[in-house]
Amino acid sequence: MKEIIKITIALTISCLVAGLVIGTTFIFTAKAKQHNEHLNVEQTMLGLLGYGKSKPAPAELKLHPIHRYILSDPDTARMGYVIPVNRDGGQGFDLVELDLKGQFLKRQPLDLSAETVLSAEDRKKALAAVLGPSAEIAFADTAIIACRNGQREAYLLPGEFPGFKTFIKAMVAVGADFRMLGLEVLEHEEDPGLGGEITRDYFKNQFIGKSFDTLKRLKVVKEPLPPEYERYLECLGQADAGLAAREAEEMERLYREKDIYALTGATISSAAVTNGVKGMVRKFAYRIQILDQAITTEKIPVLF
Amino acid sequence: MPATTKTNFQLVVNGLLNENPIFRLALSMCPAVGISTTVANGLLLGVAVLFVQVFSSCTISLIKDHIHPRIRIPTYTLTIATWVTVIDLVLAAYLPVAYKAMGIFVRLIVAFAIITMRLEVFACRNTVTASFWDGVGMGFGFMFGMVTLGAVREVLGMGTFLGYDLMGFRPLLFFVLPAAGFFLVGFMMAVFNYVETVYRRRAKRGA
Repeated sequence: MKEIIKITIALTISCLVAGLVIGTTFIFTAKAKQHNEHLNVEQTMLGLLGYGKSKPAPAELKLHPIHRYILSDPDTARMGYVIPVNRDGGQGFDLVELDLKGQFLKRQPLDLSAETVLSAEDRKKALAAVLGPSAEIAFADTAIIACRNGQREAYLLPGEFPGFKTFIKAMVAVGADFRMLGLEVLEHEEDPGLGGEITRDYFKNQFIGKSFDTLKRLKVVKEPLPPEYERYLECLGQADAGLAAREAEEMERLYREKDIYALTGATISSAAVTNGVKGMVRKFAYRIQILDQAITTEKIPVLF
Repeated sequence: MPATTKTNFQLVVNGLLNENPIFRLALSMCPAVGISTTVANGLLLGVAVLFVQVFSSCTISLIKDHIHPRIRIPTYTLTIATWVTVIDLVLAAYLPVAYKAMGIFVRLIVAFAIITMRLEVFACRNTVTASFWDGVGMGFGFMFGMVTLGAVREVLGMGTFLGYDLMGFRPLLFFVLPAAGFFLVGFMMAVFNYVETVYRRRAKRGA
């Protein structure tokens, strides 16, 4: 009996000390970590839009997030969009509710600022304050609209889709006409050397420039990647590209409507990415059209 | 096992060669086979293991007199998990570039056999200084093993070294698959054993 008590006390103390050490470290590092993650995402987004170290983003470029939620009461389900609006000359956030057929239901102001809207917890709190305790709030996804001088320039769509073994997290950039601007794989667990090659330029740059119509019927072909096309893909987006402008233009014209060349020995991963990107863009194009309709008919003063 | 009589230098060499974690003790084979696909992977995991091993060894040898023998293994696991979490948090906050490359590996280390084993057979019987040098030796030994495996697998499997293209084609794609890791570890063990036999024979002849 004495032994058991001794062991219990020893284990409890060890756990408490460990917890204390981890907790202290967390308190000291949490802010810096969050900041880094935010910076990381921002860098990825700007990179997809073609801005980087050599070409800094212009000051008039604004990134407006749109968060989509599924709101359900015991008997109904509806969509809720948290969108940035113009409020007394400043930036505010509104909740726009649409029913499942896309009909506008109502609009409510939210107590959110440009900083707090970034945190999932703060958003949920603000939503709960407006909707009352009975509504169930489930986060669906986020899309970022890049605007320049009030004109929509591009949409950035973070999302995930099933890969070979587990989910692949990626971010897709499409233009205002849903033409592909770029693809970035954020997290994946494909086999290194095989499916893991989806992060390489010669694969993911194949998506760049595909129009929405091409994308809708995009397939994967099991053919070797033509070497001159590979060279073009590898140096795409680099200022000192190895290709002359005329040559690059020729490549772009030649392969713009072509399907995606599968990676050697990783057809499943290649097809998974292709289908995932296709699905993300198609669904988004459908949803933004419905949201835009509601915005125009209800004359919501949105910032994008 | 009584307290060690080896010098600090001998402890480090011991971890690198005589008791190399991968090739001699055959411990932590999951990462050795699964992650050693490139030199960079091996190196990063090696660095992460080195830090966790050194910190954990020092902690355990500091508190060894107060650990109840019945719950020593849970205590080791707790210590390792604490250090792994702390390193993970600190890296994420202050070295985001390194964290981007190493993040997934650091979290894996909690389950590594080599660290628990060194705490059990060495750190809980020796002084802090000896445990520190033993941790350094074991960490470098593990890193050495991972880099060797990674180099062979990357060069033969992908035709690159540290990401730089060496040959422009992939000689044996098979080497990036997990199965090749097993073959390679077996082959390296054979090399280590052979060297030991030759060394012993020579020592006997000399005596």
